[in-house]
Amino acid sequence: MSEIIELFTYPFVQRALIAGSLISICAAMLGVILVLKHYSLIGHGLSEIGFASLSLAAALNIPALIISAPAVILASFVIMFVSQRYKTSGDIAIALASSAALAFGVIISSVTGKSSNMSGYLFGSVLAITQDELIFAVIISIIIILAFVIFYNRLFLITYNEDYARSLGINIVLYQFIISLMTALIIVTGMRIMGTLLISGIIILPAVSAKSFARGFKSLVIISALISFIAFISGLILSFVFNLPAGASVILSSTIILILVKIFIS
Amino acid sequence: MTERLKLTNAVIKYSERVIIHDFSLSVNSGEMVFITGSNGSGKSTLIKTIAGLLPLSSGTLERTAKISYVPQLEEADRDFPARVNEIVLTGTQRRGKLLYSQEDKERAKHAMLELGIYELASRQLTTLSGGQLRRVFIARAICGLGDLLLLDEPCAGLDVQAHEILFAVLRKILDDGCAVLMVTHDESDINGIEGARVINIS
Repeated sequence: MSEIIELFTYPFVQRALIAGSLISICAAMLGVILVLKHYSLIGHGLSEIGFASLSLAAALNIPALIISAPAVILASFVIMFVSQRYKTSGDIAIALASSAALAFGVIISSVTGKSSNMSGYLFGSVLAITQDELIFAVIISIIIILAFVIFYNRLFLITYNEDYARSLGINIVLYQFIISLMTALIIVTGMRIMGTLLISGIIILPAVSAKSFARGFKSLVIISALISFIAFISGLILSFVFNLPAGASVILSSTIILILVKIFIS
Repeated sequence: MTERLKLTNAVIKYSERVIIHDFSLSVNSGEMVFITGSNGSGKSTLIKTIAGLLPLSSGTLERTAKISYVPQLEEADRDFPARVNEIVLTGTQRRGKLLYSQEDKERAKHAMLELGIYELASRQLTTLSGGQLRRVFIARAICGLGDLLLLDEPCAGLDVQAHEILFAVLRKILDDGCAVLMVTHDESDINGIEGARVINIS
């Protein structure tokens, strides 16, 4: 036990804790909207595009964010537009785009001989976060939490029923844009920490767990964020104790919470 | 008397099929209009178009910007983690207004009291019956009431008492100058409001 406490005194562990907790909380808040609107696949699709953009950035030898941020944000708008426009084929579009992007990323990495980086992209490296990445994660998290609080009533209205919101004269496209942007930002920030293959898990899993016992929308958002925070901390401890990869341990811990909730609550 | 709605030579298509052909309608403040017609005649399509949810293929639609809409119930409406008062309050939202004022909360409370659902305020939607959820939707429209109220078959699943409550509310808001357009199947609804106009679109 004292070893674990001692671990938390190391700066690299503290950076991981702060960045990871904030990203986990934001992802889970947003996850509530994505799960309720049946957009669960969007996170997955975007993260594969994030992977392709990371591979491309490494190949071109430029900072990852310069390519991945615009690429994922643009992709989020395209996916939102396609799934709005062609309701039934939205999931097909996401599946196609994500596997194509993954293939593209793998080929780029292997052709340029940078395939050794691939594991870091796919599974993340929460313990290797730099000071700059920490600052970026804190700023993005503050923006997302603020946006969530400011637009809370509107996000609730639109998540419940877009048609009704439109009848009130609300600009739906604007809010779809805001939801897409927040999702893209979380993915771009979180994929460094959790890995592109695992980031969609921290968006979706806590929201699904919380849905089993939250009674209202506000409590759902709060419980989802809380579960995500607990899953992150316990996942991190799990990874130290058993010497496991951090990102995967967080997802494992979140999955265990979901299973326990389903067994004991539902 | 102010004109709240004016639909001129409207043509409405849905999936390339013409649903409404060359339809005109004008509704003034304080006026009650019932829309009747057989299944599939386009009553809901018409009211959705007036609510701004479907486009006109041709013709013109002029209406007040402040409308309140009571949609038909869908299964997904109940399977959502929200409380009754959270839903009712959303009726007060308008473009450019992000927060609820104290007045909004009072209006929501008043609307729930009027519809007889105040004791359900903190209940989850999933625990409601169809008739109760319909009253929630009516309360949501009433608490943010504009100049034109659109109701799409609001009476299905309402018991006698709830039906009477709804018509008492309608008479009151008509007196206050709101125009009301209601889609209905039921002949007895039509007799519920004196001087109402009935338009059969089948």
